[in-house]
Amino acid sequence: MNEISSLPSPAVADAVRLRVLVTKIGFDGHDRGSRLVAAFLRDAGHEVIYTPPWQQIADVVTLATQEDVDVIGVSSLATDHLIVPDLMAALADADLGHVAVVVGGIVPDQEIPPLLAAGVRAVFGPGSSREDIVDAVDAWGAEARTAKLAQGGFA
Amino acid sequence: MTAPAPSTPAPNAAFERLRSGDPATLARALTVLETGGAEAEGLRRRLHALVGSARVVGVTGPPGVGKSTLVGAYVETLRRRSRSVAVLAVDPSSPITGGAILGDRTRMGQHTADPGVFVRSVGSRGHAGGLALAVPAMLDAVDAAGFADVVVETVGAGQSEVAISRFADVTVVVSAPGLGDDVQAIKAGILEVADVLVVNKGDLPLADRTAEHLRSMLQLRAGDRHPEVVTVSATERQGIDELADAVDAAHRTGGGVDAGPRRRATELLRQSALAEAEHRLTGPALDELGASLHRGTVSLAEATEALLTRCADARGHRHQDRP
Amino acid sequence: MTATEHTQMTLPGFAAAKERWEGAYVDQLDEPITIRNRSGIEIQPLYGPDDWDGSRYLDRLGFPGEAPYTRGIYPTMYRGRTWSQRQLIGLGTPQDYNERIRFLIDNGSTAVSLLPCNSGFRGLDCDEVPFPLLGTCGTVVNSVGHMDDALDGVSLTDISTAMNDPTPFTLLAFLLGVAKRRGVPFERITGTSNQSDYISHYVANHMFYRLSQPGSRRLLVDHVEYCRQVVPNWNPVSVVGQHMQQAGATPAETMGLTLSTAIQYAEDCMARGMDPDDILPRFTFFFDISISLFEEVAKFRAGRRIWARVVEDRLGARDPRSRRFKFHGQTSGVDLTAQQPLNNIARVATQAIAGIFGGLQSMHTDAYDEAITCPTEDSARIAVATQNILREEAHLCDVIDPLGGSYYVETLTDQMEDEILAVMDTIDSAGGMYEAVGSGLVQQLIGRSALAAQNRIDSGEEKIVGVNCYQDDGDGESPPPMRPDAERMRRFVDDFADFKAGRSRDEVDRRLTGLRRAARSDDENIFARVVDAAGAGVTHGEIVAALRDELGFGDPLIVA
Repeated sequence: MNEISSLPSPAVADAVRLRVLVTKIGFDGHDRGSRLVAAFLRDAGHEVIYTPPWQQIADVVTLATQEDVDVIGVSSLATDHLIVPDLMAALADADLGHVAVVVGGIVPDQEIPPLLAAGVRAVFGPGSSREDIVDAVDAWGAEARTAKLAQGGFA
Repeated sequence: MTAPAPSTPAPNAAFERLRSGDPATLARALTVLETGGAEAEGLRRRLHALVGSARVVGVTGPPGVGKSTLVGAYVETLRRRSRSVAVLAVDPSSPITGGAILGDRTRMGQHTADPGVFVRSVGSRGHAGGLALAVPAMLDAVDAAGFADVVVETVGAGQSEVAISRFADVTVVVSAPGLGDDVQAIKAGILEVADVLVVNKGDLPLADRTAEHLRSMLQLRAGDRHPEVVTVSATERQGIDELADAVDAAHRTGGGVDAGPRRRATELLRQSALAEAEHRLTGPALDELGASLHRGTVSLAEATEALLTRCADARGHRHQDRP
Repeated sequence: MTATEHTQMTLPGFAAAKERWEGAYVDQLDEPITIRNRSGIEIQPLYGPDDWDGSRYLDRLGFPGEAPYTRGIYPTMYRGRTWSQRQLIGLGTPQDYNERIRFLIDNGSTAVSLLPCNSGFRGLDCDEVPFPLLGTCGTVVNSVGHMDDALDGVSLTDISTAMNDPTPFTLLAFLLGVAKRRGVPFERITGTSNQSDYISHYVANHMFYRLSQPGSRRLLVDHVEYCRQVVPNWNPVSVVGQHMQQAGATPAETMGLTLSTAIQYAEDCMARGMDPDDILPRFTFFFDISISLFEEVAKFRAGRRIWARVVEDRLGARDPRSRRFKFHGQTSGVDLTAQQPLNNIARVATQAIAGIFGGLQSMHTDAYDEAITCPTEDSARIAVATQNILREEAHLCDVIDPLGGSYYVETLTDQMEDEILAVMDTIDSAGGMYEAVGSGLVQQLIGRSALAAQNRIDSGEEKIVGVNCYQDDGDGESPPPMRPDAERMRRFVDDFADFKAGRSRDEVDRRLTGLRRAARSDDENIFARVVDAAGAGVTHGEIVAALRDELGFGDPLIVA
């Protein structure tokens, strides 16, 4: 993203280092917010897979699968949050129900409840602090990661 | 050569899904190997029976030469040749926080709709040389999942291209015109490890000069590798077929099907040992011997020998959980 | 002679008096702090004749309407004619849009703009996209019929129109189609292609029709050439600094990048053989106006001065009209807050004052709820009223360049000019703007500045009322979002499907074949074919798809 590394936080052990997909679905292209959030999460010690805007929902599902992410951050500045429930359904269909989805950007108060009902863990509006965002991703991501690794498999 | 049977755990369901190439299972296996621990070691040991069919192509070069775009174009060409492809795109992690923004795949074009392509972004996680420690083991997993070609993209930061060339079947080194002093940025050590040299951004005015310069440097050099120099333009999709042919021609054969995986295991061991040694060397023994060297009470050779002996004796194995 | 030397000579007691004040200032200030503006320039507590003495007045300022145009591009400025009120509008169906602009025209708007539905920005028609998003941000205009409905009852000759229309400019093509239907000669059509600045789309806001970068480069030149010959009163080029600043570039960086972009476009047109004096009078600019009031005023004054010089010295123009730096200003949505949204009315008024003192030619004032939703009718009315109050009640238009001669503003204008020129030098060294975005240089610069700005807010160095100071919980719920009527939108999409099915397939294919042939040729004007196809009922999605096929697909240039 860029070279300014601010607010260094202690290095995170690999076991709790989260993999976070930061993306935009729908039609809007403005990415100042998603780039900033990606930098915050990097500085908090996480691995951020960053995508260009305009991802189709099917793309996000494929990316989340291949990258085995713990958290998906969806940035919505216009009205793209309106199709986030479709994303949630597609993730569930792909056995990615454990992935914590958070939405950031401009979501009118009235349109937040449907997102939460669809399984979105948190919605961050304008003015949300860096700490709030990082703390929530840490908490929801750790839960998702635990659930994921508990699915077991290779032991 | 086979591993002693008693120590090989029995396959399980996840392992079978991995063999069948299920992307979600492969993705999870990569996470397990990256994370380390007992599960990772168990998985790693099971993989050996299934590896050996994938061809591993390392793509490296300095920042800004267009490696990701080139990898994307190369993947397209491989798909046209009906080969399944996995890509491990290694990006440097922050040395301070360990975090990383992994954006290489965004420059590889959109392959998400193609089930024959699997891309995974990998943070180097502070490992010396910019190549994540787990990469050789991750390659085993991708190999086991049945991909015909695996491309490992890594920033050439001085050491990683050497590391990757030790186990890749073909090492492609990418440069581009306009990097300052001709090919200064890729001079050191690069020619020794390259099987194919690519001059990307071939549409730029100085591309021919860069290619000529590389060829003349190669002529001055003795050795058994004779890398081909290929000029391409990844954004214009020009010269990519020639690159694919050059990779085919350079593909090291011989040594049996196990040769590639054996090289990967050897490199894994080397990197693991180096990381462990680095860790142990930073203990009190180093300071004590350093002080003795300063006082002149020991020779450099004696101090080195003494330090290595004490490291070898040190208890604990920080990387015992590592894949 | 420096300003300090000049002052010491002409005002013998100055040095002693200043020293006295400095002593008192230091004594009475608890803790001196360093203040920097958004562009990184350190701001002093006081400016005087030792900073700026006016001795280079003719050289640096001159008179309005004369080189170097620092004080304004016209001799009369707002005494002659005030700025155009051009509110950016777009929502719902063409019918919804039409209802809204008629309301705005009745309330004093003298120009209209059209923001197309975000779905169009992927080069898609409304029948190809997720229904819930349609018309939620921008108006769906996919055909000449849609444009006709959108402008129903609006005189094409009395009102100037601005189309938010990236390459290949389908909206202008539809507008010309409507003109043809209504028998209005193309020469009488006035307005601006508001989003012709494709470079800014690739690096900053990514809102474009996804045509490849080389394809966009050619289409822009084709479009300029076509307009020059066929729609002479249309401004085919608008260079959009707003995208850069909204993405995070500082005001000084924004002006530098914008001027470098304008140079790139002018040189591309000249490489096609166009005379600079034929095209530059129709170049326009589009900027964000942030709330950093004096900095914005200095940005605009410095930009005007640099452009006048560049146009003559570098581009070789001789016509004074080529040197006029005409710009539209939009109050910056970045400064608006979702918290305590009514506070935004005060912010917008402050930004608008900066734009007026900066000498803009047309303006959009944001509605207070734009940080939350598409503006409601009420908020849109207040936004227009803000402009009316500033113009009619506040006496801002009485004096031309009222901040001219301020020690502070003149010093800052000079300093901003230096910062802007440094950015332009960087871009020149990288081979011009087209190359600089290809190498990621511009994206890195913008990303760095965006993060630095956020860090200043997070650390409290930059204060935002209701966000990092004076917070209160009494916001209540945000105003209900404007969403198009689903029933009406459904009917609209169905009608569109019927329209498409009812066309002569042969006719559509014939026009598209012509379009593709032009795109494949080296010298045929592609935009002429876009106009031809659009007028014959070919849709936005069909035109863009054909051109993407021929000229390549455009992904944003993102440096992660």
